[in-house]
Amino acid sequence: MLRYPALGFGLGLRVDHYEAILAESPRVDWFEVLTENYLVPGGKPLGYLMRMRERYPLVMHGVSLSIGSTAPLDRDYLRQLKALAARVEPAWISDHLCWTGVAGRNTHDLLPLPYTEEALAHVVERVRMVQDVLGRRILLENVSSYVAFRDSPLTEWGFLAEIAARADCLILLDVNNIYVSSVNHEFDPLEYLNAIPAERVQQIHLAGHENHGDYLIDTHDHPVPDPVWRLYAAALERCGAVSTMIERDDHIPPLGELVAELEQARALAARTLSGGGAGPQRPQTTARRAERLVAGGT
Amino acid sequence: MSALAHLQGEFQEYLLRGAPAVEAQVLGSARVPVATRLGIYAGAYRSRLADALAANYPALAKLLGAADFATLAVDYVRAHDSPFFSIRYYGDQLPAFLAAHEDYTAAPVLAELARWEWTMTCVFDAADAAPLAHTELASIPPQRWARLRFVWHPSVHRLELAWNVPQLWQALSDDAARPPATLQAASWLLWRRELATYFRSLSAAEAAALDAARSGWPFAELCELLCEEVGEAQAPAQAAELLRGWLAAGLIVGTS
Repeated sequence: MLRYPALGFGLGLRVDHYEAILAESPRVDWFEVLTENYLVPGGKPLGYLMRMRERYPLVMHGVSLSIGSTAPLDRDYLRQLKALAARVEPAWISDHLCWTGVAGRNTHDLLPLPYTEEALAHVVERVRMVQDVLGRRILLENVSSYVAFRDSPLTEWGFLAEIAARADCLILLDVNNIYVSSVNHEFDPLEYLNAIPAERVQQIHLAGHENHGDYLIDTHDHPVPDPVWRLYAAALERCGAVSTMIERDDHIPPLGELVAELEQARALAARTLSGGGAGPQRPQTTARRAERLVAGGT
Repeated sequence: MSALAHLQGEFQEYLLRGAPAVEAQVLGSARVPVATRLGIYAGAYRSRLADALAANYPALAKLLGAADFATLAVDYVRAHDSPFFSIRYYGDQLPAFLAAHEDYTAAPVLAELARWEWTMTCVFDAADAAPLAHTELASIPPQRWARLRFVWHPSVHRLELAWNVPQLWQALSDDAARPPATLQAASWLLWRRELATYFRSLSAAEAAALDAARSGWPFAELCELLCEEVGEAQAPAQAAELLRGWLAAGLIVGTS
């Protein structure tokens, strides 16, 4: 089996909701935890994490792997990551297809890579090393981006698909990030979606963003907007019943609101996967163009 | 250097120092020019680190107010890159930064408040350890006591403060009316028991004994130290009382 068993519909675990989750046991199938929040020696963060683990399946989502950086892999970070995973027994571990810093610095941002053969080979080698250390396939998530580089001959979707295939890793498909980048870089998000190897998509992220008129910023501080719901339906049509979660990192509403938003995802998935036709119509020209791009690798 | 390493170096220099070289490697569009695109990253970098400082120093942020804290954050972020994999640890140098920066030396209470908040965070997520039970200590044979050393809970921290910082911090944390900053020298002990964080002030004798015990002095030498602090007549009772208190608070997790 390429993929781990699906978990259903989840939420990002946030400190604001700890007590409500423990008190209400909401209808959430699983939680995604931010790895770095728990890479601390002990105390409340780990105490709550293990209480959550007794009640729900968890997956670990990191921001510090810096898989695309030309700085050496942080072995100490990997050691801590592995130790936390041994304790939490997450269903899977994910991080981002990006770099976060070089020369001993961390910008704490998910910075974009140029889509070159050099970057591709570099990331593939490092994913293999990480998977060797952790003893499992990891998931890489596509990030939102605001710049494109002059020397970047591949498409982002071709780059991601090729890394997944060569490194034999899985994909965390962030539908909001595809949408944000499609507006910022003026590409067709369906073209992106249709190039992704469905069999490697382990998880989907849904989130909201901020509209600045000429561009979008991936802020995770709004409800999931309509274009992202539509793209989600298209992703489900392509990938089937993939574990889905909603990310909210700022302006965090009461737990009930996020659970209600998650119910929307459940309902949309049920309609889409039962052939209810909730998904958007995909123009044939787009599909053909996407197939040509994938076949050509660029 | 590879093309990727070169690009990443230039990109990071732009974020950290505003170096413009990377602009030549970025594509703009009619709607969104290069400067806007790169500016999104530069703004996000600064605001993310400023947010981390505000999260690590909430009472200091309240005391200074939004505008002054933002100025402090800008200055600190410019002076301190992050070498940490986790943003949790960003801001570790803020107490020293405040103590040394000419804009803040006139208000030394700020550096002390920062030191207090950073220490509280270290207590909050220090490693867990099970406190030593009274019965375990009682079962130690009398002949071992003179050379007995104590192992301390990883959350135990000590601070010497010149100002009424804990009172200020408490008022700021509770959004209560806050006392004026006043000089009020005291020794403080901070620790965690299970998931709850505690702090209290220490008498001179307890501070001396606790510091000696934490640096590995055996029990007999602690008793001698207490003789100097409180006199020979009081020392045995004082030693027993301190030890009882340390055990009851969960400060001691073992002996060696």
